[in-house]
This record gives sequence, C-alpha cells and structure tokens, in this order.
Amino acid sequence: MTLERTVEIVPEAGLHARPAAAFVEAVTDHEAEVSAAKSGEDPVQAGSMIAVTSLGVGQGDELHLVADGPDAEAVLDELERILTTPEEELSA
Amino acid sequence: MADRTLNGTGATPRSGLGTVVWYDPEISLPDPDDASVDRAAETARFEDAVETARAELEAERAATADRVGEEEAAVFDAHVKFLEDPTIADAVETGIADGLPAANAVDDAFGDHIEQFEGMDGRMAERADDLRDVRDRLLRVLTDGERVDLGDLPEGSVVLAERLTPSDTAQLDPETVAGFATVTGGRTSHAAIFARSLALPAVVGVGDALDDVSEGAEVVVDGDAGTLLVGPDGAEREAAAADTGAAVVEKAVETTDGRHVEVAANVGRTEELAAAADRGADGVGLFRTEFLFLDRESPPSEDEQYEAVREALDTFPDGRVVVRTLDIGGDKRIPYLNLPEESNPFLGERGIRRSLDPDSDLFGTQLRALLRATADGAGELAVMFPLVATVDELDAALDAVDAAAADLDDRGVDYERPSMGVMVETPSAVFVADELAARVDFLSIGTNDLTQYVMAADRENERVDDLHDPTHPGVVRAIHRAVTAAHEEDAWVGMCGEMAGNPDLTELLVGLGLDELSMSAVTIPDVKTAVAETAYSTASERADSARLAATRSAVQNTIHDT
Repeated sequence: MTLERTVEIVPEAGLHARPAAAFVEAVTDHEAEVSAAKSGEDPVQAGSMIAVTSLGVGQGDELHLVADGPDAEAVLDELERILTTPEEELSA
Repeated sequence: MADRTLNGTGATPRSGLGTVVWYDPEISLPDPDDASVDRAAETARFEDAVETARAELEAERAATADRVGEEEAAVFDAHVKFLEDPTIADAVETGIADGLPAANAVDDAFGDHIEQFEGMDGRMAERADDLRDVRDRLLRVLTDGERVDLGDLPEGSVVLAERLTPSDTAQLDPETVAGFATVTGGRTSHAAIFARSLALPAVVGVGDALDDVSEGAEVVVDGDAGTLLVGPDGAEREAAAADTGAAVVEKAVETTDGRHVEVAANVGRTEELAAAADRGADGVGLFRTEFLFLDRESPPSEDEQYEAVREALDTFPDGRVVVRTLDIGGDKRIPYLNLPEESNPFLGERGIRRSLDPDSDLFGTQLRALLRATADGAGELAVMFPLVATVDELDAALDAVDAAAADLDDRGVDYERPSMGVMVETPSAVFVADELAARVDFLSIGTNDLTQYVMAADRENERVDDLHDPTHPGVVRAIHRAVTAAHEEDAWVGMCGEMAGNPDLTELLVGLGLDELSMSAVTIPDVKTAVAETAYSTASERADSARLAATRSAVQNTIHDT
C-alpha cells in the first residue's frame, strides 16, 4: 500500500536535532519504506538522519511524505504528529 | 627561559604548572593499503563498534539529563540516529568490500557528509559537529584509542584541546587539574568564564601552534599574561607553583586616601554564595537569576525564587545583593519559553525586552518574589534590569514593580521595595544615562555586552577578539560618561563585567569613579588588595589621561606606566 501526505512543519527550529531524531525513529520503528521531499526537490530516504537533517526544512515549510508498506498509514500518522508538535511538547 | 612561549588570551589571572594531557587527540588510522584486511572480520568489528558507541551514548545521555538537563541530553538522541544511519552503514560496507580497514571506511563514509553540512548556514552547520563527534567516537573505538575522562585526570594535568564545551569545562576538577589551554576561544567565551568561576588557570585562543605541544610535556599556563610556557625553567616553575593569588581580605576596603570601593561577587547559583563569602566578597554585585529557570520543564514558582534570593540575602547579612531580573535570549535559551529564531539574537528579543513582553507574567512573578524577599532577608536587596535601551523601557519596568506591589497588597503579604537600578549594556543606555539615573538608585555597567555593542564585535568570535577589549577608548569613554551622569543624579555606579575582576585595571576603574566592582569570586582577594594599594587622587588623574587617549595602546600606557 502506497500512501502520500503533505505536512506543514510546526517546530520552530524545523527538523532540528530532537524532532529529526524522533522523525527518524518513527520511520525505523514501522514496517514501511518512507521518503520525504521538500516541494520542488528530490525525495530522500526518511530513515536516514543525515538525509532528513540535510533537507533543511524550517517552520512553515511543507514536507511531502510517501510511505509504502503494511504500516504506511500508521507511520504517516506518527510522522504528522511529530511534524506538527512544537519541539518543547515533543516526547521522544 | 622556557623552551617555547605560545601566546593566547588569558582567561584567569592565575598561573598553573603541570603536565600536558591532550583531550580528544588525533586518531591515527590504519594503513589503507594493508592487503591483509579480513573483510568479514572488519565488518564484525564495525558492527561491534557501533554497539559500543551506542552504549556510550546512552550512558552519556542519562548522565547529562541528570546533571545538566533534558534539553542538553537530546543531542545524544540525534547522535544515536546518526550512528545508526543506513547511508553510513551502506557506505562503510562498500568501503570494506573494496578492501579498506573498518576505521578507514568509517572515516570515508562520514567525510563527504561533514563537508556538505559545513558549507551550510547556522544551525545546519552544527550537524557537521554532530557528525564529527559520532565519527570520532567510532574511530576511537575501532582504533582502541584511549578515552580521556576529563573528570578523572591525574593530579597536575594541564588539559590542551582544540576547544572545550561548557560541559567539558564543568567536568574539570580544580583540585587536580592545573589549568587548560585551547586553540580557539576568546576571553568571554563560555569556557573562559567557566575557568574563572572554577579559579582554573587558563589560556584560550592560542591558535594552531598549540597542536605542536606534545602529550606529557611540562608547561606553565599563565592566565595573567595569556601565555603557555613549554618546558619552563626553574624560576618560571617556582613562580607558577607559588601563584595562589592574593590573601583573602575579609573586611571592606578603601583606597590609601580613604575612598571606599565595594568589592562584590558575581554569582550564578546559590551554591556559589558561600564560596563568594569565603573569598571576602562584601556582597553580591550580580546575582544572575537564569539558573533558576534552566534544567527544568516549567518556570520556577514565586516561592522558589523567593527562597533563592532570601538565601543570598541571608548569606550577606551586612552586605548588599544586586539581583538582575531574568536575562534570557541572545545565546541563553530556555526550552519551555519558546524563544524565537533570530538572525541576530544578540540584537534581538532579549533581557528586559522579553520581560516587558512576551514574558511579562514571568516578570511579575519574579518581581513579587523579590519584593517579598526584600522584607524578609537579612541583607539589603537591590534589583536591576538588563539590556535597557530606552527610558520608556525603564518606566514600564518600574510600573511592573508597582503592579507587583499592588498584587501583594491585595494578597495581604508583607513586602518592601528594594533599591532599583539599570544595567548599562547598550550604547543607548550610555547616552541617556542621566535620564535613567534620575529614575533609579544605581547603574551597573555590564562591560561584556557593553564592549560587544560599543565595538560592534561579537564576544564569542575570536576573529574579532582584539576589538572585544574594554580598554579601547570608545569603551573607556562610555564608562566615564555613564559614571559621571549617574553621580550627577546622586546614583551610585557599579561594574559587573569581566573587566571589573581584572586587578590590572582596578586603578583605572577606581579612577573613573566606580563605587562598586563585582566579579567572579576567584579574583576578589586580588582586586581588594589592588584597591587598598591605590591612591584615588593619582588614579583619578591617570583615568583622565586614559579617557582622553586616542588608542588602546595609549590607554594601556596609562595603566602600566608606574
């Protein structure tokens, strides 16, 4: 099952250290291949901390997510939660 | 004479003699052309190294969360994710398959990514540091490198390092470590300030020449002259070993011609109060309240703040405690306060700007705690506002004090008004010092920020370290102007920047008319001794020459010309 979703980033510092770590953790915890892309840019592997942080997404940017696998829906829900939670409210 | 003398910036007016221990030494990689590489074994070694590194990171995360705070600990979560990154694992696997030893494959796998992040802006560039840390950790494990535990060094160690983070510095035990020197950093970098609060001899910003000093070499760290003596001779050794600073002067001091100058301590945590009293502080000239707000998930209550200020007042029953209201923003971040990302945080929403809005609730709570402590504490309380630039800001802050008093009236709680003051840290505050002083009891000149703003020189940037010096005529004249304006309005004037703690500058500051000098506790005996040896009449004449001088070297000639 392949699902797509576009999420606007809420954390003030964007996908900075802590939200990025939580993001990658969510991807590796689920059974799905996930890619992430900034609008107009090439998608990257969402399970790679290097790839995710190098996206350079800031607050207000949109991130396009594509998930393929049995957990596709669950992983997108979890990623959306992380991307829309202010950093200080984020529990790992 | 020492074999070699390296020049840097002195951080502490203390000398120490010891043996070099390099922190984070260069890792030597195996020969990449080693034909005997066993690919299966190298792959297993890499996998074991990742596990070892992960266990280390988890242990350090727990220790940091415990000792420093959850926010600081979060960086280790990011490091674990970099360690587990599949693109790294893939690249290492490819490298080993191509016949590289695991360590070289790891080095290559990280290299391009580090370069990529290095070229990016701001916080993205911090990721290069994260990747470098993770790489070096893996390489150390793979090459069986010895790990230097900064908290457990042999007695008489002098730590040399490229740089030391505040948490590195915090681990150094002044009982065993004789000092440190770093390649980078300036006098007001966090490591330097930390060194002063630990009374640790330190020289920062030595530059690449430091790299040539070998492990185990005998050195003198002269934090007064800002030099590192490699292979000191007998006399240099003896001088360093004998440098334990001036004797503690318990009582208040005056100049030889009878002008009283208060010598007080800058305090960042209640734990430092007793040490400040032991060093002979007359009181506290700067009680930073940020510590109450750090390392926690929500702001401290009014009662908690009351207790902390009360403790300070009771430590100095016959003295004065000057409390600075919450000064965050700039480089001081507090997780739950939602500070904005700003392109120039030092010119942004910090200090009083945040207390008036958006943190006015926190400000009100803090002011109520301060008013209650004034009524109940033994010593005399004075309260000052940081980063004031306009008279309107001061008026609004004083209105907030009235509002806090009205709240306490409504609650029927006892309170008293402390004396009120303004920190002079902005050029604007210097220019309107007369108007500010007319509205308060005192001014306190914060020379670290004032120098930064007068000279337009970032205090953390060693490339402009020469400009970040309060003996430039612009800064000396700003100090003179603020002092004169305050005295005309019958306000007293203190100084609570690093400049105040430099005994070489005591005569200049007394001559400029400062009524109070406040500093890290370590230099209080030296400054008290310097005050007692100063004649105000001579100092005042010298200060006149200093403020009329055209260049920094001319200012310094007035200081050293005895």
